[in-house]
Amino acid sequence: MKSPVWSRTTSRRRLLAGFAALAVLPVAACSGVQGGKDAAGGNYPTRAVQFTVPFAPGGSSDLISRAAAKAAEKPLGQSVVITNKPGANGAVGDKEVLASAADGYTVGLAVKSLFAITPLAVKDPTAIQVDNMEIVATLNQEDYVLVVNAASPYQTLEDLLKAPTIRYATAGVGTGAQLSQALLFKAANVKATDVPFDGGAPATTALLGNQVEALSASLAETMEQIKAGKLRPLAVFSEKRSTYLPEVPTAKEKGFDVVVDQRRFIIAPKGLPEDVSKALNDAFAEARKDAAYDKFLKDNYMERWEVSDEEARQHLKDAAKQYADLTAKFQLTFGSGK
Amino acid sequence: MDLAPVLSGFAVVFEPQNLLYCLIGVTLGMLVGVLPGLGPAATIAILLPITYGIEPAAAVILLAGIFYGAQYGGTITSVLLRLPGEASSVVTAIDGYQMARQGKAGSALGIAAIGSFIGGTASIILLTLVAPFVANFALEFGPAEYSVLALIGIFLVATLGNGTLIKSVAAGGVGLILATVGLDPIVGTARFTFGSDQLADGIDFVIVAMGLFGVGEILYNLEHRLRPQPAVLSFGRAIPTRLEWLRSRLAILRGSVVGFVLGVLPGGGATMSSLVAYAVEKRSAKDPSRFGKGAIEGVAGPESANNAAATSSFIPLLTLGIPANATMAVLFGALLLQGIPPGPQLIVDHPDVFWGVVNSMYVGNILLLLLSIPLIGVFVRLLRVRAAILAPLTVLITMIGVYSIRNNVFDMFLVVALGLVGYGMKKLGFEPGPFVLAFVLGELLESSFRRSMRLFGGDLTGFVERPVSAVLVAVFVLTVVIVPVLRAVRGRQAARAEREVVGV
Amino acid sequence: MTAEESATPGERAVVDGTPPVTELPEGEIPSGGPGHAVLAGVVPVLLGLVTMWLARDLGLGTLTDPGPGLWPMIVAVLVLLTGVGILLRARQARDTEAFTRGAVVVVIAAASLALYAFLFELVGFEIPTVLLLVLWLKFFGNESWRTTAVVSVVATAAAYALFITALGVPLPHLIAI
Repeated sequence: MKSPVWSRTTSRRRLLAGFAALAVLPVAACSGVQGGKDAAGGNYPTRAVQFTVPFAPGGSSDLISRAAAKAAEKPLGQSVVITNKPGANGAVGDKEVLASAADGYTVGLAVKSLFAITPLAVKDPTAIQVDNMEIVATLNQEDYVLVVNAASPYQTLEDLLKAPTIRYATAGVGTGAQLSQALLFKAANVKATDVPFDGGAPATTALLGNQVEALSASLAETMEQIKAGKLRPLAVFSEKRSTYLPEVPTAKEKGFDVVVDQRRFIIAPKGLPEDVSKALNDAFAEARKDAAYDKFLKDNYMERWEVSDEEARQHLKDAAKQYADLTAKFQLTFGSGK
Repeated sequence: MDLAPVLSGFAVVFEPQNLLYCLIGVTLGMLVGVLPGLGPAATIAILLPITYGIEPAAAVILLAGIFYGAQYGGTITSVLLRLPGEASSVVTAIDGYQMARQGKAGSALGIAAIGSFIGGTASIILLTLVAPFVANFALEFGPAEYSVLALIGIFLVATLGNGTLIKSVAAGGVGLILATVGLDPIVGTARFTFGSDQLADGIDFVIVAMGLFGVGEILYNLEHRLRPQPAVLSFGRAIPTRLEWLRSRLAILRGSVVGFVLGVLPGGGATMSSLVAYAVEKRSAKDPSRFGKGAIEGVAGPESANNAAATSSFIPLLTLGIPANATMAVLFGALLLQGIPPGPQLIVDHPDVFWGVVNSMYVGNILLLLLSIPLIGVFVRLLRVRAAILAPLTVLITMIGVYSIRNNVFDMFLVVALGLVGYGMKKLGFEPGPFVLAFVLGELLESSFRRSMRLFGGDLTGFVERPVSAVLVAVFVLTVVIVPVLRAVRGRQAARAEREVVGV
Repeated sequence: MTAEESATPGERAVVDGTPPVTELPEGEIPSGGPGHAVLAGVVPVLLGLVTMWLARDLGLGTLTDPGPGLWPMIVAVLVLLTGVGILLRARQARDTEAFTRGAVVVVIAAASLALYAFLFELVGFEIPTVLLLVLWLKFFGNESWRTTAVVSVVATAAAYALFITALGVPLPHLIAI
């Protein structure tokens, strides 16, 4: 295994590190002292790039990061080292990425829900602003699907919406799973109770065990159960039908303007030197063509989302505004709502 | 049942390269299990990219080995250094550490290894025979059932302590308070986070356990560092004596069954199983006062249970496609990457993988037992290192381990603060065990209860209307209300009878 | 304690065989008086009160429709009651220990760990680790300088080899290999 090199290079650290290296130990190569300067010389990267994943190891966000990072190593010519720094839907790790030096040696994964949904639930004055970061590359889009237990009488979305009351499972507060269902049932004017679980897996279990009537979850979490005939998909919450579930209508087709999805992209601190920014852009653009990366997306039922920095930024702003407007319109409250 | 796929699964296991992967997996698992803070989930995630190129069955054999290997390794630090790295080995730290201090570390670890082996193997046999039936049992468990189960668990926690009952309850209560730190599980309100994102997801269990047990104990010993530490004269052999074996025999059997059953339940199964196993041993013992002072059954029962539970937690993943814990979630990802979607179809579409993995666990458990016995001999020698050297090394491993959970310095500050709490508790006569276990179960109880209320539309009778939940309610009433009352009455009668005899 | 006892194998089998540190004669840990027993009750009472106060602001709801503050409130009341119970029995309690002058060392030790954490990401883990070990070995443990130097350097190198080289844990570090 390669030894990861730490590289949060602030000038103070560089100084301390240099001092320590002189004073105490025979230092072979000091990551703090190297780098930074030669980045301006146009031969970036000269050492490993740190890739912060602000989620625990093993989830979809972690796995896609590892797949993309691995594929980017070749075009970048350096290793890309993953560090998991989970907490607060990615806020902990991403804030740290953005606080580091803008030299291209620190990048991180970020998710759309942190910008579009989390603000509805958590009031954080120090939240990351969309304009205060650089979007190095956009990666994927993950769609949500509304499912019911296959043993239930609900064959279509209309059937479900006729039920006197609906209890629906979600992957937790402030997730797309929750937002999509809350908006749908509110728009359809159905009496529905939201039951948040601790993640998608327990929520799926609850539906399989008939604890609840409905569930919205990502395709990766539900597809196997759908294929095995245990769960029945009624609608997807994407703009267009999912390529993985071409038979299933969108909520929009059914007359409900509810479009909720998760998107993932790679961010870096604002103010990257132009050549560094270009090198990173190119490397990840190349990485997205990698065969193993492509297989990863297909195996996990993910769609590609590959747009420019500005377009991505605009999408995040639009989504945030749209969700805020919709929740205000339907008087939905998340988080500190009484 | 059709035995052909089971037998062909053995053919998969005995391919030399699969045996090798199994050996690598369990050895690596044991290593990360020994190191506090490094969990099997993170290790498997790091290794995932390496497994791309390996055949599916081999890859899963390797990764599964890390998981159950870690269960063996975790016991070692619990017993020797009182550093439980997983919720399921907290109870082992209670009697195991006492045994180590009495010079019986070898026996404690030996019986734990044997118990783990028997528990694990029994669980695989049961898995092979009844997996499809028990899988549906996991689905019967909804929020209502978890609420009652957690409630039973919390009452059991109170009986764990050796000090006064009221102090155990107080310590448990503080653990319950600490468990509420973070975003509210149902409505997302920030509770006791003081505006910090660092606390938004709550406090990791390992930090609480390391702080109260490990760091707290070390700080406590520092205060009296000039007083000679009670010297540990011998360490015993890794093979338990005849008497110890006789005492643990039934504990291992009971623990295996408890572990298998509770391990099937996604979420909290393994922790509950070790706790229930301990409680069962303490209650069925002739002299319960030995517990907490180095009773070997207090190691044998829970260790057999948590290993049996680790094995049976594969059932929901392999038969339903439901990951029962964080490690299973990573394995879920690993299977997806291999193009083998975990789910109800797995056993039909990929019998070689299913039975290859299941049968590899027999081999893995044998390998672990063979590895453990000599390793125990090496590890107990740690106790020969004098405290002045061992303590700083322990504290170092703890600090680095805690950092590695989230790669976050904030957690290091937390563990130091909790270490001071643990030190203060010890001085004032409170025990860390109830605190730590209540911390784990509190979250389960609150969130399950509130989910149940939403599911039942606010009707409390829902708990007795569902069959499984009703049975659990009955168990709760029986064990927590009726039995103690009967005992108290009988105790009083006995005391009166004694007085009369003396009076005559 | 006799000289023979102090030379148990446990004391001998240390890395470099320095003579055992002179130790004070074994003394009982002084039991905490009534003051400590009262303190053991006061802490839960205060903790319960603070939690109750904070929980009230979170919104209680009802038992059948609980708000975020209800469960913390229930638990806080429980802790408060146990504290009161402990206070009532404080007179008979014999299960506390007095804080001795050695407690100062505990505070210094905790502070050293906090400082360690502070320096950890700032300058990498190697130097703080050596310094921490020196402090604990030499000043808390009364080890000889030789033992201190050997153990602290070897342990730091071993931690590097184990966590960074072998296991790939992304610890902040200075030395790149």
